[in-house]
Amino acid sequence: MNRGYYWLVLALSIPAFIWLVPTIWMVSLSFQPNDVLARTTSTTALGLIPIPFTAENYGALFSFGQTPWWFLNSVIVSLGMTLGVLAVSTTAGYALARLDFPFKATIATICLIGLMVPEQAVFIPLYTMFADFGWHNSYHALILPRMAVPIGVFLMMQFFKAIPKDIEEAARLDGVGWLKIFWYVMLPLARPAMMTLAILTFLYAWNDYLWPLVSAQQREYFTITLGLASIQSNFAQSEGLGRVMASGVIASLPVVLLFLIFQRYVVQAMTVGGSKG
Amino acid sequence: MKTILIGAAVAATVVTGATAQEVTLGRFFGACEDAGMDTKASVGEACIIQSIINAADAEIEGVSINTLPTDWGNYYDQIKAAYAGGTPPDVHVMHRHRVPEFAGLGALAEISGDLESVGIDPSDWTASARDAVTYEGGIYGVPMDLHANLWHVNMDIMAEAGLVDDGAPVLPSSPEELLEHAQMVKDATGHNYLAADFAQFPIGVRLVLALMWQQDANIFSEDGTATIDNGAARNAVTAITQLFDAGLADPQLNYADSQQSFLNGEAAVLVNGTWVVDFYSAEAAKEEVGLDNYYVADFPTLFEQGATWADTHMWAIPSPLKSDEDKYMAALKVLAFINDHNVDWARTGHMAVRTSVLESDEYNNLPHRDEYTGTARIARDTPPSERYGAIQDVLNRELQAIWLTGKPVGDALADAEIEVQDLLDR
Amino acid sequence: MANTDPDAGAARAGRKSYLSQSQAAFLLLLPFLAVYALFLVYPFFRGFWISLHDWNLLAVAFNPDAKEFVGLRNYERVMWGRNIEWAAFASPLLQGVGLLGMVAAAVLRYRGRISRATAVALATGSALLFLLPGFHPGEDGRWYDRRFWPTVGNTVLFVGLTVPGVTLTALILAAAMNRETRAMSVLRTLFFLSQVLSVTVVTLIWQIMFSPRQGLIANITEAFGGTPINWLTDEQFAMTAIVIATIWWSLGIAMILFLAGLQDISKDLYEAAALDNATGARAFWHITLPNLKRTITLVVILQIILHFQVFGQSHLMTQGGPNDTTQVLVRYIYQTGFRDSELGRASAMAVFLFVIMGGFSVLQFLVGREKE
Repeated sequence: MNRGYYWLVLALSIPAFIWLVPTIWMVSLSFQPNDVLARTTSTTALGLIPIPFTAENYGALFSFGQTPWWFLNSVIVSLGMTLGVLAVSTTAGYALARLDFPFKATIATICLIGLMVPEQAVFIPLYTMFADFGWHNSYHALILPRMAVPIGVFLMMQFFKAIPKDIEEAARLDGVGWLKIFWYVMLPLARPAMMTLAILTFLYAWNDYLWPLVSAQQREYFTITLGLASIQSNFAQSEGLGRVMASGVIASLPVVLLFLIFQRYVVQAMTVGGSKG
Repeated sequence: MKTILIGAAVAATVVTGATAQEVTLGRFFGACEDAGMDTKASVGEACIIQSIINAADAEIEGVSINTLPTDWGNYYDQIKAAYAGGTPPDVHVMHRHRVPEFAGLGALAEISGDLESVGIDPSDWTASARDAVTYEGGIYGVPMDLHANLWHVNMDIMAEAGLVDDGAPVLPSSPEELLEHAQMVKDATGHNYLAADFAQFPIGVRLVLALMWQQDANIFSEDGTATIDNGAARNAVTAITQLFDAGLADPQLNYADSQQSFLNGEAAVLVNGTWVVDFYSAEAAKEEVGLDNYYVADFPTLFEQGATWADTHMWAIPSPLKSDEDKYMAALKVLAFINDHNVDWARTGHMAVRTSVLESDEYNNLPHRDEYTGTARIARDTPPSERYGAIQDVLNRELQAIWLTGKPVGDALADAEIEVQDLLDR
Repeated sequence: MANTDPDAGAARAGRKSYLSQSQAAFLLLLPFLAVYALFLVYPFFRGFWISLHDWNLLAVAFNPDAKEFVGLRNYERVMWGRNIEWAAFASPLLQGVGLLGMVAAAVLRYRGRISRATAVALATGSALLFLLPGFHPGEDGRWYDRRFWPTVGNTVLFVGLTVPGVTLTALILAAAMNRETRAMSVLRTLFFLSQVLSVTVVTLIWQIMFSPRQGLIANITEAFGGTPINWLTDEQFAMTAIVIATIWWSLGIAMILFLAGLQDISKDLYEAAALDNATGARAFWHITLPNLKRTITLVVILQIILHFQVFGQSHLMTQGGPNDTTQVLVRYIYQTGFRDSELGRASAMAVFLFVIMGGFSVLQFLVGREKE
């Protein structure tokens, strides 16, 4: 490594720090007393260091806040959606990639055309449909629509296509049925791809806003993303800034941790998910 | 004997247990998670209403209340979505101005026949409150308040500018005087005269509407003709823009910022509703808050006749609930409880709707209450319309265009008139 | 290997599998096809059907017959007006750019500088840019919905500012950080971190960041003796503010895609270039950029699709204001549907959104295939 390299790292640290400042600022505000914040947010180091310090905002959040409940909802919805997407995507992806059947090309095309339909273009008919079924304000209403999005099928299909043919053929020669091959041979091989898809789906589910906004009107089914939106649109008087920021920190913690632990998969998920087509 | 008593007690528990009704309640006003049950101690709209609800939950036998999300931003969108999805809350708050839209569709339960059975006396309501909940002869809700725009005054700034007479602020009686006073404040203190949310919620719209009504004009007529592009509207708008042009008010403050500016002691007058009177009183009492000497005044008359924007918060029950007799009665009991605590709600600063409360000492001794007694008399709103929300939105956009983006007044008013007419014709 | 057909192999082994290949395939496809048909295909056509009706959200909920078939009138009411005329230079700047684009596409294709797909895409885009802004209300004319096209314009402006912002920043950062060292990996993590936050956290942070009274930016401005800007309520800054927040939020994915693209460029190319004294910026210009062309195109299209659907930033940070300058298409759809209860109109706009998104998806597909 030469001198230029260290200069480069140093030069990049400055924008990287600036990039981090908004997040630091949120965390810092969440540890300051509300009545101080009401007057000024720049007590120490422009507010970037939480002095005067208090953990009260988090205490309040967990003793009578709705935040823990919303948090739990988000976990349920995100996990449910992730499992659902994994289930329908691996099966369909395998069938489309490895099996021969009538109208295969047609069915594959029909599935992939769905990639063109953005969620925002169908949320109104979906809304009226779920209303007709009486399904709003339920976990399945929050989970089901996203399972229909074919990106997962597409990703799994690409993955299965890349597996060499002979693995399957050996099993076939031993007379193993297709479903067993799928379950015992293909799924274990697909673990990395499934991990990628799972993280992509989980992040999407955790952060989704528009569909929960129209589908969930009862607090029982608010996700944390939706709950956060509801507390920031209040008239300024009811909640302290520190409390709102503490909710924001709590809402972000799981995804940030998930990202830091599974960074490799997240990056891969973004790469594959981003360059579809 | 003893066993019978125990048996009766057990039976009673079983009975009430079996009939315990969960009532879901939709409201805005914001969240107050630690409101408690003391309806006399809480401060601010969110906490006062929640303390009343918590008390109702505890005190009404056989009824438990589940409060739904409480944000302002998407309230009506969400409540409509809930109605359309077949899952409206069992009772919900709404504004008077939404009655034509909701009652017109048959969404609200007509409750006039059932009020007495739970102890609500509609004849105790003021005439304006009864009007508020009445639609085509039927009663569709229980009114909770009359709320209106007030002038919240920082007396220290006014005194410095020489605008105090006999303990009361001297307020302008014409647009020219408004400018004059504003200049006096600027010269004496360097502060802005007027602050209000001109940039976000339609408080600026309500200000302009009041000034139009003061000239006996309105934005549309009962028969559905938009009348915005005219001299009265121009007078009303320029009465305000003259302050911006002279640098005596800042049009870019939103709700939170304008409020903060007033509380910091940086503006002589804040135009805002009745809902903040107790909050500002509490803030003014604090050592560290810039505002010390707080006064509430009726919206002054700058033209021929007094007028200020007003509306009513009311509680309604969805019509489908009538098919579930027990739940319907439980919902009515909740409304009755809120009606009984009218004086507690009035602690926010809102005006009560029950004559018996209005005449009570408890009500009249509330802080600053004697300073805005004229407001009920000059309270007004636009004619009823199913498109109230959309019309307010048009006005808000066009007025913001005038003061935030420099759109010529004539163009903005002409555009607003066309668009409001479109909405009325739809 | 005379016989590679696995079914025959299974049969020869003398054991019968329970399902034939087709049966297994349909069984495995069934769950996905069921949710797909029910929650995507059906709603899509239903949306189109709703757009042909005068359909009030609440009225229809209480009385299913309260809708009225109106044909294409919703489309007319949203997108058209009275006495609409077309002129070649109604909006000289945009139309001029469109005209230049068409000429450029023809010339570049003729000289073989760009592929056919790129030429077609460029020409189509330019033609639309020439065609659409030419419509305007004539004498006594007016748009039926004065907000729709400005809203589309705002959305395009948002995309037009965000996409180059994200792409350029991400490209420069990716090129600078394209080394497998510990420090670089930490830096990459820092830049990527904000990408995983939800839109409501992002708006929460930036709403306060931009606040003229409580915001960090205002604190800094005041520390230097300046007057804070009312970012979110000033017409000149509101769009910039939500663009800044968006760039901060969504830089990560573009950066990751560029890094992946950079990995594919052979080291030999750089070594060869170094012999010609091309290092640093010159190497970036002559080697990195040309070899990254396909990735850049993909990232740009992906961003366009993503950001055209912007909703949360506008809905939560500025409520579309001031004076509608940050009103965007999806928010208008949401408002028309749920505030104004006009599902028919809202659906017509959603169909419009789909057509635009579909166009870009086809483009993405074509570009993606080009290399193969």
